[in-house]
Amino acid sequence: MRTYILKRLLLMVPTLVGITLLTYAIVRLAPGDPVGAMIRMQAGNVNPRVFEKEADRIRERLGLKDYNFWGEDPERIDAVEKVLNAFYGYGRWVSHMARGDFGESMQKRTREGSKDPFDLYLERANVSVILNLIAEALIFLIAIPVGLMGARYHGRLFDRGSTVVLLGLWSVPQVLAGTLLLSLLARGGIGLEWFPYANLHGADPDAMGWGTWFVDTLWHATLPVACLVYGGLAYLAKLGRASLLENLRADYVRTARSKGLPESRVVYHHALRNSLLPMITTMVMMLPMLLGGSVVVERIFSLPGMGDLIVGAAMQRDLAVIMFGTLVYGTLTLVSLLLADILYAWADPRIRYD
Amino acid sequence: MTDGRTTRQTPQVTPGGEPLGPPRSYGSIVWGQLKKRPSAMASLGFIVLLALSAVLAPFIGGEVPIRWVEDGEASWPIFRHLTNGEYVAMAALLLGALLPITIRLVRPGAERIGAGPVLRALAISAAVLALVAGLLFGLREPERSYGFYLERADEAESAWFPLIAYPENPGYAQLEDKEQPPSWLGWLFPDACPPGSWDHPLGTGRIGDDIFIRILYGARTALTIGFVAVGISLAIGVLLGAVSGNFGGWVDLVLMRVAEVVMSIPRLILIIIMVTVIPQRWIPPIWTVVVVLGLTGWTGTYRLMRAELLRIRGEDYMTAARALGVRTGRLLVRHAIPNGLAPILVGATFGIAGAVFLEVTLAFLGLVQTPSWGMMLNDGRQHLEYWWVWGTSGVAIFLTVFAYNLLGEGIRDAVDPRLRI
Repeated sequence: MRTYILKRLLLMVPTLVGITLLTYAIVRLAPGDPVGAMIRMQAGNVNPRVFEKEADRIRERLGLKDYNFWGEDPERIDAVEKVLNAFYGYGRWVSHMARGDFGESMQKRTREGSKDPFDLYLERANVSVILNLIAEALIFLIAIPVGLMGARYHGRLFDRGSTVVLLGLWSVPQVLAGTLLLSLLARGGIGLEWFPYANLHGADPDAMGWGTWFVDTLWHATLPVACLVYGGLAYLAKLGRASLLENLRADYVRTARSKGLPESRVVYHHALRNSLLPMITTMVMMLPMLLGGSVVVERIFSLPGMGDLIVGAAMQRDLAVIMFGTLVYGTLTLVSLLLADILYAWADPRIRYD
Repeated sequence: MTDGRTTRQTPQVTPGGEPLGPPRSYGSIVWGQLKKRPSAMASLGFIVLLALSAVLAPFIGGEVPIRWVEDGEASWPIFRHLTNGEYVAMAALLLGALLPITIRLVRPGAERIGAGPVLRALAISAAVLALVAGLLFGLREPERSYGFYLERADEAESAWFPLIAYPENPGYAQLEDKEQPPSWLGWLFPDACPPGSWDHPLGTGRIGDDIFIRILYGARTALTIGFVAVGISLAIGVLLGAVSGNFGGWVDLVLMRVAEVVMSIPRLILIIIMVTVIPQRWIPPIWTVVVVLGLTGWTGTYRLMRAELLRIRGEDYMTAARALGVRTGRLLVRHAIPNGLAPILVGATFGIAGAVFLEVTLAFLGLVQTPSWGMMLNDGRQHLEYWWVWGTSGVAIFLTVFAYNLLGEGIRDAVDPRLRI
């Protein structure tokens, strides 16, 4: 097992290189001029000579400058040179990253004025983490009993009803759910005005006491979390029902029943334990969604989260921010894949990786 | 082998004495199971109906009359105005409907078993479709009407307009019709809004656009995204998965890493970059989305097909075929892949539902400017008081995705009889 994990960890390196190189090449080689677009947006029409000088300076600083490799006219850079430049830029990005320098964002700044992508993500991490952690916990806590009841009363009214309801929930687009919740339950909408319509905290969260802060955050998070929960809940409950059903038909359950164990002990102690595993691994696989998965909810409820940051960066082709996001997302995905495999092997001795 | 030869043997008998009947292929067993599920069949019916109305949309709602009589001369304007794409879609639908007959023509009596005739019939249909498309796009230039017939409707002696005679894109037309609630509402609640006619059964939007027609034409986007994107990713995933599972070794190792790379690149980010980067005059952004979705969405299919191949590789019929000297390519295409396809269909239907959702997300982020349900939903979000704009598109998205999910569930139950009682 230790060899297997080591091998997988080693194989992660080329995969990560592939992921980052591919992303870097796509962003870098795509036609268009993000730096020029940014200058024009910020400064309007500039004298072309000043513009070129300024653009060159920024490109050099961001590691986006294209160099001549065969010493010809600096205005003309052919396709081969572009590719070479992309590789050179990628190598530069890797070597800087190894020294803890993730580059700097083209436009985004933290409240303190830092341009470091790490600081940018860190500043927005608390919103995404709070929302997604509450959502994942709720999904898990509701999905287990629903799936359990569905499997125990298989084919009866509760099972049929819950199957249809869950499938229905799964088919509601998040944009629609968010819009409905916002307009019907939030202030400034057209229905009950119970919840705030934006932000994760009320005014001046630093001055609040611990308890007030907690209640205030929960109150603000209710609608966005509801929006995040329903889809995953439907998926996980369906999964739990299917896996429990499979386990209830297994031989060991028949053995347990024929030993004369009470039904509740058979279900809760034997079958449920084994059915939890696929649910847990699924939750692990949902981990990377922390980063960009909640962009719709963040935009609808005006929450400054990481999904909003990474999508905005992709739209402006802000290379450093995209690369950092890709690196984190890729690492999270690979780690969660490995974690799921290890969990399976750990819980089920029949599975062996050699 | 699995061709028609076996069907001509004398019927075998089970130990119980019942006639066994001709051997059935896995696909026909799954289809038989699926037919027993009313919810899955209803969803399938809904999707077929949706596809039909999307393809035949100009006959249901539009501004070009089907038949037009002026000065004693009758003409059929709609056939001159249908776009080449619409003709190709109709041809595809027709060929799909005729597929059972094509299969029978290719090999009489072989429709019950074996993938050979099915594959051959599919190839023939695809060739015919390509020919039709090539001829149409090479030779034909469709006409455009711009309100020509609607304005002169009084001058005709007889005009058969579509069910809802209203322009698809009303940039130039009746602006007094804007922001009207569904016309039947006035009939139910006279004091809520003025009792309207049946001109706009689902109301109109902010620029006087008929909501029913927008829903009708938006179905095209939803279906195109779903089917084409999933089609591309299925083709890639099945092929790579079969190769990877069959050969193993370093081929498998490399392909597995490639799949991991593709899986670990955030999809939404990739699509956003591609859509913002590729100029709209090259290809419409919706096709960029379709292609990127197809090129990145194959990993699930790949893993499934690979696992299936690992199982199928050791089956007796594979050994038998190999012993008979069947070449590897033929072995995979004719014997291995058809037997591993059923579980993949489950993922495919869910994938189509996911693609429809993704289109909604992209429209929400303002990236795709194609007439679609996602765009209607987001138009409506800005003006919640016109609830019939976002409400109808929301219901349309919900119903379509629900149908796909129900169908996927049905196929899963049909494929995996262990969960059935």
